[in-house]
Amino acid sequence: MEENSDTIWKDGRFGKSREISYYYDQKGQYDKKVEFREDTVKVLVEQHWDVINDRIEEARQKVLTGKASPIVFYMEKTLADPITVSMMSGISLWRVKWHFKPSVFKRLNEKTLKKYADGFNISVEQLKKIQ
Amino acid sequence: MEKNVIIDYKHRQAGHCESGTTSNLFNFYGIELSEPMAFGIGNGLYFSYIPFLKVMFAPMISFRNLPNTVFRRSMKYLGVDSTVIKKFDDPKESMIALDRNLEKGIPTGMQVGVYDLTFFPPEYRMHYNMHNMVCYGREDGLYHISDTVMEHPQVLSYKDLIRVRYAKGPFAPKGKMYWINNVKKDLDIKTAVSVGIKKTVYEMIKIPFPLLGVKGIRWISKDVKKWPKKFGNEKASFYLGQILRMAEEVGTGGAGFRYIYGAFLKEAGERYKNDELLASSDLMGKVANRWREFAYIGARNCKNRSEPKEDYGMLGDILHEIGGMEEIVYKKLDKIKI
Repeated sequence: MEENSDTIWKDGRFGKSREISYYYDQKGQYDKKVEFREDTVKVLVEQHWDVINDRIEEARQKVLTGKASPIVFYMEKTLADPITVSMMSGISLWRVKWHFKPSVFKRLNEKTLKKYADGFNISVEQLKKIQ
Repeated sequence: MEKNVIIDYKHRQAGHCESGTTSNLFNFYGIELSEPMAFGIGNGLYFSYIPFLKVMFAPMISFRNLPNTVFRRSMKYLGVDSTVIKKFDDPKESMIALDRNLEKGIPTGMQVGVYDLTFFPPEYRMHYNMHNMVCYGREDGLYHISDTVMEHPQVLSYKDLIRVRYAKGPFAPKGKMYWINNVKKDLDIKTAVSVGIKKTVYEMIKIPFPLLGVKGIRWISKDVKKWPKKFGNEKASFYLGQILRMAEEVGTGGAGFRYIYGAFLKEAGERYKNDELLASSDLMGKVANRWREFAYIGARNCKNRSEPKEDYGMLGDILHEIGGMEEIVYKKLDKIKI
């Protein structure tokens, strides 16, 4: 469970792991080397996380202005899509989508909220309001 | 019950999680089988493109086979006595089964979800449930894990291990575990190599469905050209980035595992003195280099997202060319007799 939602992906370990990459050289030899990631590949990783952080921020604004329910925010924060949320919480897909409306979310009972909270690995109080 | 067990298991880093795991397990039982060999015999190589299924908000594209294929097939083709337990209904039961195995001295492979793995590099964090790792010991409530993505062995607590083994989402692992019971000393690797190549060739060019294998590469090459008009530059570059991430990043084999497969062909060719295999290994190496080149060119578009530097039509043409190059390799492999 993470507390600080903004920069969790870029914590101290980001880009610090070395991994094997295979290559094929001019002489026709296959070989492998253990190294840090190249800059080209770093561009891809950064683009990926930039898009995801944008999505999280967008969802946060939507929830704060009352256009979406907190489930949308937590869905983006846990990198899930509606199908994954449905599988995590055990609630059918169309009901998950129905609960994206703030007015519907307000009327949800404790049992359903608990299911969502368990799926997202947070408490019910955290689910009800976002930072 | 809470006895400390640590099995003398050698951890080696590898490019692809499942073939690395398989090859490490073989090494534990005294059979020298390198990672590329396990990858080739177990049909690790694959290509599928499923535009209507979205993974991480982009069309699904995969360079690897379904989970557990590499282990299951390499055991079948080599004729090794092994056990795969597909699922446990009760998480506690699965942990008891794991403990029992450890006490018997059997290192046990498991399918896990990546999202909650605590030691995993944060940039790989996603709902991906087809990862494989081996548990080889228990000490004071901590489980010793050999994960082939990491450079060194890691530890996980009981609670975390249950959480990753019962990760939710598509392809949920449900506590799947597998291990080798015993290995004969004289394995018939030659036949296994031959059968493995036949199966890979079948999967890459002979399946009568347009989105799998070489046909899938051709299909995506057409789609890439349409992306900027259909979705706009931002989204097109995100989709392109996802393909490249799958090819270069996730699974870390590099260039869609074509390098590992080429290394397998080369090793097999040297072992059985087969020039045809060596020639196709050379071709495969060139295909892999072309994939990597494609990744480098495409990454420039990902850097400047709103104004693409490279033309998407040109990228599509490169993909089409790669499809043609791969088809030649598989047709060549189809005729080889080992």
